[in-house]
Amino acid sequence: MAAALAAEWLKLRSVRSTWVTVAVVGVVVLVTALATWNGVNAWENATTAEGRLRWETARPMERITFPFTQFCVGVLGVLAFTSEYGTGMIRSTFAAVPRRGTVLTAKVGAVGGATFVTGLAGVTAMHLTGRWIVGDRPFDAYADPVAEAVGPLLAMGLSVAVVALVGMGVGAVLRSTAGTLVTLAVLVFVLPTIAGFLPDPWNERIGAVLPAQLSAQVAGSTDPVLPPLVALTVLAGYAATALGAAAVAISRRDP
Amino acid sequence: MIEVRELTKRYGRTVAVDGLTFDVRPGRVTGFLGPNGAGKSTTMRVLLGLDRPTSGAALINGYRYADLRRPLVHVGALLDAGAVDGGRSALNHLRWLARTNGIGARRVASVLEQVGLAGVARSRVRGFSLGMRQRLGVAAALLGDPAVLLFDEPVNGLDPDGVRWIRELMRSLAAEGRTVLLSSHLMSEMALTADHLVIIGRGRLIADTTLHDLAARFQQGVVVRSPRSDELATVLDAGGATVTREADGSLTVTGKDASEIGDLAARNGLPIHEATPRGASLEDAYMELTSTSVDYAAGPGAQGVT
Repeated sequence: MAAALAAEWLKLRSVRSTWVTVAVVGVVVLVTALATWNGVNAWENATTAEGRLRWETARPMERITFPFTQFCVGVLGVLAFTSEYGTGMIRSTFAAVPRRGTVLTAKVGAVGGATFVTGLAGVTAMHLTGRWIVGDRPFDAYADPVAEAVGPLLAMGLSVAVVALVGMGVGAVLRSTAGTLVTLAVLVFVLPTIAGFLPDPWNERIGAVLPAQLSAQVAGSTDPVLPPLVALTVLAGYAATALGAAAVAISRRDP
Repeated sequence: MIEVRELTKRYGRTVAVDGLTFDVRPGRVTGFLGPNGAGKSTTMRVLLGLDRPTSGAALINGYRYADLRRPLVHVGALLDAGAVDGGRSALNHLRWLARTNGIGARRVASVLEQVGLAGVARSRVRGFSLGMRQRLGVAAALLGDPAVLLFDEPVNGLDPDGVRWIRELMRSLAAEGRTVLLSSHLMSEMALTADHLVIIGRGRLIADTTLHDLAARFQQGVVVRSPRSDELATVLDAGGATVTREADGSLTVTGKDASEIGDLAARNGLPIHEATPRGASLEDAYMELTSTSVDYAAGPGAQGVT
């Protein structure tokens, strides 16, 4: 198991696509900082109290751009299987490690760990630059001390890893990079939008069980639909369902 | 040692391998021969635990592949040289493979040296020619220094240098006492490399024979010309050979080879102007052996299979 994990970790860091993904997360950090800076400017130039209030009560910027972070890092999970099925290298993988369960577990370890760290680093960078740009302006999002942000940021990192594992699971079932990316985009971007158009209270209820909002509830946000433990269970359920399907797919179907 | 026992593999209604049984022994190159679609690759994939057999078994040193603890140390395989991630360097490709089976970095360096890729080890595989990819595939197969080696069409797309390199490699691996199974659809290639042949068609065993026996089986006599052919025919007949007189005055002799015929003629003071062994070439022999299975393969449309 340790050998398989070491191999998967080496696979992950020895292709350029991994580092491109990390660089793209860096771009998301930059864009988030620009958006915060824009917010600060708008606040400074606002002529009415309402104009200022809109920015003062806005959600933290790293939450607004969070689906992008989830998707970009999630690509790493998607490629874990689809890139191997695409090239045929999956046969070398299974020839070297005949136990399918070991391969899956090793990939979960390597990709899960890497995406958690990348996601956490990304949102933390966004949060800290946000604080720095906002300074001592009265923005609610950054009013609490930094220590208060640790929980929510950890939960966001976890949520990023879960989205990546969902991508991995769906990728093992579909075996196609394009198809899996579309599935992931639907989960991260399309479903939350559709949920937003549903009539009250279903917009909130459906929205609450989608990955984008689960992390805030795991960290115990102020007006949660789900208590933290339930939210955590739902989040874990996403990963478990996708990976369970992957386990069945790779052990039943010939590569 | 490879043992294939009553192996059957169906994909839906298509039978890829149909009750196949054969052994591959160590110390010689065994050619695995058959037309395209005969089931060679499927058999190899089952041997490697990639495809699960519908019934029967494929064993390596007595074990199912899935039960081998460090499989690369027992079996090396080159299935498809293109099946690597082009974004990874040759070195890193071998390193991750080595890591799965606890094989050290020194061994990785040594196989890279052995296949002649040491100079480009840090280059991305994307830029490799087909020949270089084949060499990388061979390096991966040799990584665990295994006693059993499987190569699926290893000379496809190689230049003459590469073909000769593969050929010599196969022979030296077998000479070291390893079990070498080499698949091909080209008899001409096998004639130069293999000692033993396993020929299949439509998933069934057609022949399990040595190269020499196969050639002998398709021997078609010796054409002999002599100005005194009548006397020669009588002598040969008396000597136990079967003689047929051809319209052009030549004799077709079976039951004696060219040197025996020459000796017999000399003892009787009869001149010989020509003695040509007429055999089907190995290529012809192969075509004849597999013709029925090829014909059959072209026919399933008539059975309602699309």
